[in-house]
Amino acid sequence: MSMYRYLCFLLVSMLVPGLAFGAADTVHWMTPHYTFNRTTVIAGARYFADHCMACHSVSSLRYEYLTADLGMPKTEVEKDIMLPDGAAFKGTIVSPMPPDMAAKWLGKPPPNLSHMDRYLGSKFIYTYLLSFYWDPARPSGWNNYVFPMVAMPNVLAPWGGTVGPKGHVIYPGKLSPAEYHKNVADVVAFLRYASDPSYFKRMAIGPYVIGILLLFTILAYLLKTAYWMDLKKGGGAGMRVKGGNK
Amino acid sequence: MTTVTDAEHGHKNITRRRFLTAATSAVGAVVAGMVAVPLVDSLEPTAAAEAASSTTVDLTPIEPGMQVTVPWQKKPVIVINRTPEMLASLKETMDKGILKDPLCKVPQQPPYCTNMYRSRVPEWYVGIRICNHLCCIPHYRPKKGSVAPWWLGGFHCPCHGSMYDLSCRVIQGSPAPHNMAVPEYELSTEKMSATITHMYPKAHLC
Amino acid sequence: MSRFLVWVNKRLPLDETVKEHLTEYFAPKNFNILYYAGSLLLLMIVIQLISGFFLMAHYDPTSQGAFASVQGIMYDTKWGWLIRYMHVDGVSLIFILLYAHMFRGLLYGSHRAPRELVWIIGYIIYLLMMAEAFVGYVLPFGNLSYWAGEVITSIIHAVPVIGPPLTTLARGGPGIGTATLQRFLALHVVLFFLIILAAIAMHIVALHRVGSNNPDGVEIKKHKGPDGKPLDGIPFHPYYTVKDLFGVGVWLTIFVSVIFYAPTMHGIFMERTTFLAANPMVSLPDVTPPWYLSPYYAMLRAVPNKYYGIAIMITSVLLPFLLPWLDRNPVRSSRYRPVYKIMLIVAGISFITLAWVGEQPPLPKYFLIERAATALYLGFYILLPIISKIEPTRPVPERVTG
Repeated sequence: MSMYRYLCFLLVSMLVPGLAFGAADTVHWMTPHYTFNRTTVIAGARYFADHCMACHSVSSLRYEYLTADLGMPKTEVEKDIMLPDGAAFKGTIVSPMPPDMAAKWLGKPPPNLSHMDRYLGSKFIYTYLLSFYWDPARPSGWNNYVFPMVAMPNVLAPWGGTVGPKGHVIYPGKLSPAEYHKNVADVVAFLRYASDPSYFKRMAIGPYVIGILLLFTILAYLLKTAYWMDLKKGGGAGMRVKGGNK
Repeated sequence: MTTVTDAEHGHKNITRRRFLTAATSAVGAVVAGMVAVPLVDSLEPTAAAEAASSTTVDLTPIEPGMQVTVPWQKKPVIVINRTPEMLASLKETMDKGILKDPLCKVPQQPPYCTNMYRSRVPEWYVGIRICNHLCCIPHYRPKKGSVAPWWLGGFHCPCHGSMYDLSCRVIQGSPAPHNMAVPEYELSTEKMSATITHMYPKAHLC
Repeated sequence: MSRFLVWVNKRLPLDETVKEHLTEYFAPKNFNILYYAGSLLLLMIVIQLISGFFLMAHYDPTSQGAFASVQGIMYDTKWGWLIRYMHVDGVSLIFILLYAHMFRGLLYGSHRAPRELVWIIGYIIYLLMMAEAFVGYVLPFGNLSYWAGEVITSIIHAVPVIGPPLTTLARGGPGIGTATLQRFLALHVVLFFLIILAAIAMHIVALHRVGSNNPDGVEIKKHKGPDGKPLDGIPFHPYYTVKDLFGVGVWLTIFVSVIFYAPTMHGIFMERTTFLAANPMVSLPDVTPPWYLSPYYAMLRAVPNKYYGIAIMITSVLLPFLLPWLDRNPVRSSRYRPVYKIMLIVAGISFITLAWVGEQPPLPKYFLIERAATALYLGFYILLPIISKIEPTRPVPERVTG
């Protein structure tokens, strides 16, 4: 393809999805409120296993990481998170839904969510989950303000309620808005962990590594001044002599 | 005061410089170690390789007295469903005094298998079916009297004639020095499955 | 030990080399903070080599396996996340150091005679680093890797006559696939890397031949003491080895802080689209280059004409080669050239602005600032030959100041 056509293609293709995101300009972005610690992520993992894992995999994660990184006991992981059939503790977290069937049933295979938080961001996912509305024109009956024409149905409708296109409540959810928002925030926290499980390890050992490097830096500074002292007339470390040396 | 080298000549604070050089070098070595250890560790088998490296055996089809040999990390692992008579023969063999290492003093098995049965559960023996002499695969000879008139059941190696009892403990007169190795494994009689995970680090095959 | 050293010295020029380049290499005593960049760059190249080696032990250069192998490094390999972050954050930090290093050179006239070759070789290193970063960048085979590979190899396509066959050679097949990844890996690990190492060696040898410049731009060799040593010079070893060791400490603390507390730097060091697997069917709503290549991309975009846009981009990449000759003022350092200093600062701010605007979507609201920044940046090069001849300068001291 010639360079000119290629650039045109790029520019246009940049704009087309932008139309979808263009609608996003009118979206009221919501930030999830959670403390990103092990408790929140474990709560999110449970919620994810209960509501999302039927269709979505996080196949870069292994069940054993929930124990290693989050401290979840192996028995709890086996009981609450692992799927009953065929899953191994050291195996990857894969949804039982066969991708080709999913494509048939839903139009598109449910994406692997391993890196979704790093790709789209916590704010996007949180707002997305809270932006479903009832739309009889769609095959699933659901549409979404953040991701128009989405193939995913609103799985969480029983808990969060069903909302119509103009924002009016059709069916209230089982949970109060505060509880529901907390659950969704927990799931987003889990997805954030799934995107980068090294987080807790980094926070744990970071201070020690930086501490030792600071010690090295201080010693190196003292060593430097010990040598540079004999360049300064009259002693004193690190002083620049304004006006030059004679 | 130690001798002053040419490079150090003429400076007033040689001791301070030497001390600081030593101190900085020491901490620098620690920093270098901190970097080197994770790098070298990264070459260890990854979690993916580890997950693929354990084998699970379903115990339900193994009848009493029968054995199943499965490949695990390219080694044969034998799982025997031992009958009460077989378990009794273990005691008999010990009493006869024909075993080289009846109390399993040489660490060829994980600590939880350091017993007469060399297993977690007496009925189920899980071990690596490799002769401790030169790594052949011994024949399974559970029948009394099959290898020799005094034979109470066990293993007989076709290569150089090493003999083992039904816990794979080596019998005197065999060229093999030690009992056959037992790997680290999990076993659940409720779930009727055994999962072989790693080699026991102190054990050697042959 | 000394007998062993005597034996070695009969066979290798160990003592002479140490004398010539360390203990009797006299560097000006007034190096300031910008002068740490050179030694830190050496450190970073070694870090990239080591981290890259350990990454390569797990990398799978096929279109099916590349993305998964990188995720395997991040999730399954022990400390894999640390090694990968080291390597990726290392790239961005290298470019920060490179830009500081080059800016220092322009600020103090280190590119002027007799150091033109130091500058030329150095700029070649910079271009090679950009090429190295680019081929390395395609390897993780995220969606951004895929489309970056597509776009850059397509730019080659636009070169007349040799372009199309070169593009096929670069890709090794239709589109970016296994063949591309394998040859890009070879370029990244072997060819570009070794040429960079050789160029760095030549850069240092060229510098030592002439002697280092300093913030005042005065030639320290002009004033020598009775022992023949420059009055304003100090032996590199032990003074600058020990000072650079301190610089290493500070820098590693910063490096580690980035790795542990902000490894993606919120999308700047590792773009969001790296985390989506390569998909030839879906191009991205936000096709942006990494921040260190973004200024040139912005300049390409600023011109609403295909050929002129490419011409401007290539010109802006190549113009710095001419700087030793574009600058015609006898005074070296901007400390004594207030007009030149202002021009440099304006050019620097324009470059940073271009880097920022290059990351924004191509919306009309950014056009003005994009074009103004391009004009200001290129204006520096165009006006320099004229202004450097007529600008007023302050009196240059004979000896170095602080």
